[in-house]
Amino acid sequence: MSVRILTVEDDERIRTAVSLALQEEGWEVEETSNGEDALASFSRQPSDVVLIDIMLPGIDGFEVCRKIRRLGDVPIVMVTARSDSHDVVAGLEAGADDYLRKPFDSKELAARVRALLRRSKTIGATSNFSFDQLEIIADEGLVRVNGKEVHLTRTEFKLLIELATNSGKVLSREDLLERVWGYDYFGDSRLVDVHVRRLRTKVEMDPANPRYVVTVRGMGYKLQTQF
Amino acid sequence: MSNEKYDQAQNLSYKLKLGLRTRISLFFAVGGLLVSIGLSGATLVLTRQQLIDSRENAASAFALTNATRLSNQLTPDSSVEDLPSIVDSMTKIEGSQRLIRIGNDWLPSQELDREDIPENILNRVTELKAGQLRVEINGKTRLVLGIPLQLFDAAYFAIVDLTDLEETLDDLRIILFGAGAGVTSLAALLGWWISRRTLRPLRNVREAAEAIAGGRLDTRLIRQSDPDLDRLSESFNEMARALEERIHRDARFASEVSHELRSPLTTLKASVGVLESRKNELSKRSQTALDLLSRDLERFNRLVSELLEISGYDAGAASLELEEVNIAQFIQATTRNDTSITYMLPANADSLVMNVDKRRLARALSNLLDNAHRYGNGPTLIEVSTNENSIQIAVEDAGPGISIEERKIIFDRFSRGSSSGQRGDDGGTGLGLSLVQEDARLHGGKVWVENPKGTESGTGSRFVIELPTIGEEL
Repeated sequence: MSVRILTVEDDERIRTAVSLALQEEGWEVEETSNGEDALASFSRQPSDVVLIDIMLPGIDGFEVCRKIRRLGDVPIVMVTARSDSHDVVAGLEAGADDYLRKPFDSKELAARVRALLRRSKTIGATSNFSFDQLEIIADEGLVRVNGKEVHLTRTEFKLLIELATNSGKVLSREDLLERVWGYDYFGDSRLVDVHVRRLRTKVEMDPANPRYVVTVRGMGYKLQTQF
Repeated sequence: MSNEKYDQAQNLSYKLKLGLRTRISLFFAVGGLLVSIGLSGATLVLTRQQLIDSRENAASAFALTNATRLSNQLTPDSSVEDLPSIVDSMTKIEGSQRLIRIGNDWLPSQELDREDIPENILNRVTELKAGQLRVEINGKTRLVLGIPLQLFDAAYFAIVDLTDLEETLDDLRIILFGAGAGVTSLAALLGWWISRRTLRPLRNVREAAEAIAGGRLDTRLIRQSDPDLDRLSESFNEMARALEERIHRDARFASEVSHELRSPLTTLKASVGVLESRKNELSKRSQTALDLLSRDLERFNRLVSELLEISGYDAGAASLELEEVNIAQFIQATTRNDTSITYMLPANADSLVMNVDKRRLARALSNLLDNAHRYGNGPTLIEVSTNENSIQIAVEDAGPGISIEERKIIFDRFSRGSSSGQRGDDGGTGLGLSLVQEDARLHGGKVWVENPKGTESGTGSRFVIELPTIGEEL
């Protein structure tokens, strides 16, 4: 079955050009021009990756992102044309896995989509982990806190697995960007920060005073094993 | 008048002029001083006159009494030898002395004799007229009274010491001077206080202006009860409103321009990407055209993003996203491990962390490296050095170097070195170095160009970015 990508973009020329570029990679593209159509299309038939432009007529990209995130853990890429950085953080907070800034290279776009597809196909680890009340059953993609199952997106899960396989060791933001997102050194470290924050709200009892995923000042993050 | 000159002139007049409050206080102090000088002067003159008059009256009354008594006790046969016994019976007052002449003989006092009596008193007495005069004798102010004794060829002279009077007046002068100084200081204080009260609304204006300049654009002055001051705060608020609106409009405009420019570029890049991936389906001529298209699209793209970046600085919308960056990793990643460059890093570079905006600093360093590639035959050395409160990153090349005149303008927008060759060939946008400067400034640092260490001008250049090590409490 071929990969399906849902795009939401109100500018017709961009929509067509981006579709052409994605189709060059052999992917199937479902084009929509506003948030309502995108949500309707996604509910009808979930896609493998969603590409959302932030500035949309009607309901905006953030809202579309939140609604699709509620429907499942499909990888979402936000696209922004604005230079201010609030959009990026807001998009990530709304549940996006990654973002692209216009104008982007079609090669860059393809690389991002491929990285997301890879993440949703392979878990990367087969062993299970258990840290105090935090249980990770890797081959089933399950995480339990205090025996209760919590739902993580693919990116959050991958992030947790990377920290778990290196438990007790500090991973720098750059390390995590490379291992989880496939970025080089110059990837945006806010991706890591926002995802760590989201991960904490799910696995930590008190996200403000994390017990498992801790920040190591000046170095990065680590999964704590000594309690 | 150029801006710079105008500023200088402004600064100069600031230095020469005293502050309003100082001037008001000074005005009050001078007023107080003049008033107290006037009053003290009048007091002194009047008191002195009164004191002297009463003393002279008393002295002449006493002299007249003694002269009459002397006249009564003298006989036509009396001589100088008879005088001491007569004198003993006369009234004495402190500080007064007497001289008596009979015929050509004189009875001197203990201290004084006839030489000390002023000439015109002697003359008046010779003319059988009484006289009095204030003179200085032996360093003391004295009143000399002369009374002729008409029945005999004799005269009585009284000399009264006025020193105690002068002492009293000196005391009065000191008191008045002290009072004058007090009044002057009080006036100055009053002036200071009044000006402070009067200028308080102006201080509010200053604070509001500073707040606005500091970025709190919604700062407004509260309404004043005084109608004059209320007009001021109303105008000020009007100005602040206009400024805020203008800045927001500019920021909105920049954001809209950004969107409008990025959209067609997105279409262009995606479409060119499709063409690139099907390049071998195209004819040779079309391939050449596609190459031109994608190269200039890339350049245009860079120009747009740098222009948007610059306009972000101008609109004050640029902000730092500080994060902890490992210096050794950063240099390695930015240079992509270029082995043609010599690296001089601090010994502890592997564990050295700086708190910077990684994206901006990476762009600044890349721009310097690009610059070295374009105009300086490639970078030869990267040196990182740190001290207590700053970090310096230097990039050297072995190119033709940059003249002193050009060093001043090289960071200006769209200024390219004269040696940089023909426009269009180099692929640069002309904004690279000004962006480096803006990024350094945003970090609170600076960038400059100098001769490579230990060389003369004309043999390469050394660009240095210096950043303060802010918030480094690691």
